[in-house]
Formats: sequence, C-alpha cells, structure tokens
Amino acid sequence: MLTRRLMLSLPLVAALAGKAGIARADQLDQASGFIQQTGNELTAVINGSASAAQKQDQLQAVVDRAVDVDGVARFCLGRFWRTASPAQQSAYLGLFRHVLMLSLTGKLGDYQGVSFVMGKPAAREGGVLVATVINRPNAPASKVDWLVGTDSGSPKIIDVVAEGVSMRQTQRSDYLSFLGQHGNSVQALIDALKQQTGKPQAGG
Amino acid sequence: MRRLFRLFHRGFPSRLTVASIWGTFALGALLAGCATPPPADDPDAVAEYREANDPLEPTNRVFYVINDGVDAVVLRPLALAYRWAVPEVVRTHTHNLLANLGSPVVLVNDTLQAKPGRMGDTSMRMLINTTIGVAGIFDVATGWGFPAHDSDSGMTLALWGVPEGPFLYLPVLGPSNPRDAVGFGLDYVEDPFTWVGRGEIVDALGWARFSLTALDTRSSLIDTLDKIKAQALDPYATFRSLYRQHRRSQIDEARAAD
Repeated sequence: MLTRRLMLSLPLVAALAGKAGIARADQLDQASGFIQQTGNELTAVINGSASAAQKQDQLQAVVDRAVDVDGVARFCLGRFWRTASPAQQSAYLGLFRHVLMLSLTGKLGDYQGVSFVMGKPAAREGGVLVATVINRPNAPASKVDWLVGTDSGSPKIIDVVAEGVSMRQTQRSDYLSFLGQHGNSVQALIDALKQQTGKPQAGG
Repeated sequence: MRRLFRLFHRGFPSRLTVASIWGTFALGALLAGCATPPPADDPDAVAEYREANDPLEPTNRVFYVINDGVDAVVLRPLALAYRWAVPEVVRTHTHNLLANLGSPVVLVNDTLQAKPGRMGDTSMRMLINTTIGVAGIFDVATGWGFPAHDSDSGMTLALWGVPEGPFLYLPVLGPSNPRDAVGFGLDYVEDPFTWVGRGEIVDALGWARFSLTALDTRSSLIDTLDKIKAQALDPYATFRSLYRQHRRSQIDEARAAD
C-alpha cells in the first residue's frame, strides 16, 4: 500500500518505474470500461419492458457478475468476520445478499428512465474509483462513484459512493454499532437480518 | 441526500438562543455520561472505537431518542400535512425563496473560504433571483449557469484547518460536532436578518421563516428518512455515519472549487 501511495504522489518515481505506470493506466481503462458495460446492462434492465419479477432476476444476474457481494459483506462485518463461526459466516453472507437485493429491487421503480454519463477514473487505495453522473426524469442529476476492485484479476464493484456517501461504509457503521449494542454477538446480527428479510421492506 | 442535514445548518429562529440549547445539552451530559473506551490490548476494538469517534455516545443517544420522539409526533406529521395540503409547485417556490434568504450567509462563507468562483455564483444568484426571480420565488439563476452550492461556517472552519472533533447529537439541531456547532453560531451572526430591527413584525417573520424552513426540509426528507429508519439496524449509528460523510463530501467539494 505504501509503495503504491508513493508512486501516486511522486511522478518522478512513477516515471522511473515505467512499467508500473503503464499497468496503472491499463487498470484505469479496464475499470472504466467495466463500469460503462455494467451501467449499460443495469440501465437496460431498469428501462426494459420486462415484468417486475423478470427484472428482479435480470438484476440479480448483473449483481452476481459485477459486484463482489461477499467481499462487501466481509468489509461490513469488520473484525467480527474472524470471530464468527463458519456456520455464522455462511448464514451472514446469505442474508447480506438477500438484504442487498431487497434494497436494490425496491429502488427499481424510482429509477425508471435512468441514464448515466461516464466521468474520469482515478486510482484509490484498494482499486479504481470511476465517476459517473446519473440522470433521472424529475430528479436532479446525482454524482455516483463506483469503486472497482482490481486485485482479483477480474474487476468487481466493491463500493458505491453516492453524493460523497459510501454505501459500504454506512452499512458497516450500522452493523458494527448494532453489534456493540448487542454484546458483540454476531448471532444477534444474524437474527436481526433474518427479521429484516422476513418482513416486507417499508418503502423498499 | 444533499438536503438531509440542511435543517441543522439553516434557518434557526432568531429568538431561540444557542445558550439555552447548550444548557440542555450540559444537563443531558450529566445524566448520561461517557462511553467506556475498549481495553488498550484489543487493537481491533480500539480502531473501531476511534472510527466511531463518539466518546459521548450514551448522551448523544439520549438526545437522539428525544429528537426522534418529537419528530414522530410533531415534525413528521406536520411535514406530511404540508406535503398533502400544499401543491408541489408552491412548495418548490417556497423552497427557492428560503434558499435565497439564506444566500447572504453562503456569500460570506464563500468569501471567508477565498473562493472567487463561488462568490461570483452566489452574487449572481442573489442578484438574478431577487430581481427577475421575484424575491427568490423563482430560481432563474441555475438555468443561466449560476448553480447553487453549499457553504456555511462549519465548512469554512474546516477549510481553515479546524479539526471536526467528536460526534455530537444536539437537542433540536440533531447530528453535529464541535466545529459545526460553532459554525452554526457563526452562521447566525453572519445572517443579516439577525441584525435587522426588532419588533413584532420582524419576530413574526423570523418565526415564519424558521417554521417554513423546518417544513420545507422535513417534507423533502419524508421518504429518505423513512427508508433509512426502516432499513438500518441502528438508525442512530447510520445517521452518525451519513452526517459525517455528507459533511466531508461538502468540505471536499468546497476545497476543490475555485
């Protein structure tokens, strides 16, 4: 991490390490192209004429392909991932995915007619942040940045930052604080998530 | 999201003193106390404690519960009524009018932040919207290339290098920190409407502005806040995180502006 920071902050070092500089530019292009493609897929699903249930399936497919759901889930559990039992880990991952899909499908209606404009990608710790501007009918344009992890070889979305608010950071604060309020019990969190996925989501 | 915390930074009534709020706050602090830091030999727990940066959490939670209760029985129902009774076009114009009333404070802070581009935008917005926009009822300036932006004393202090300090959940005002709480007081002092005359009409107008600001902000947030509360396992912690991230993003934007 430290060397990466140095490379970013010192152009001289970057110029000397010519090969690394090129790799970085490649990664920026790759992440940008990936978001362009995923964005096209998402807008096609949202603006398509399929039924709500079909759209949900299509959305699930795009999310499975493009988002590192398990990685985000682990990030949101922080230090408690390591202390959780394997059974708890697997239950948590399943519930996290369910909560994410419920939240996304609840938003489908709000985004009818959505379009997006690509912005510039920038290197960040842990990946590449790709900027976009999302336009919807009857709503002000909103700035949404996508953090793309490139460590695993194939690019995956690891965070969505809407108007400066990181989705995974917000979720992590919520979960960690809940755990703190419930005696650091991962089981209590799992039970709460079960309850959340069981009941209809108010307002999506 | 942009307007989520605007109420806490704008349009507080001229007659309600900040001192009385701090008095209530001090009383609450006595009642509830401080959070217990984790043992130093647990580095992960210590890192988490630092990340939350909320040493007054027990006190803050007391005020969150009080504010939330008041909101549920007073503010939210009023906001629902406002949204139901007043046509959207009128609500939009009311919002524009209130924003225009707030623009002198924005201009003062653009200046203190040494952002000539933003100063120009704000000056043109005031000029155009107050005249052609009929006292600010119509936001003509945005369409003419002078978009609105956020600027307040809390952001100015941040750009001057003042650290934010620990999280605070203040009575009435909601999520804050020492820097923003001081900034709130400065905004009040910077507002020219604080200093215009004294008398029944001025008082009534001040209260009308405050009430409308509260209704305008709360009604625009009905769906957002309902969703957050429905989806968060710990709404207090979620608001804490959202507030901080929102402020940081506003500050970063101001820093990058010219």
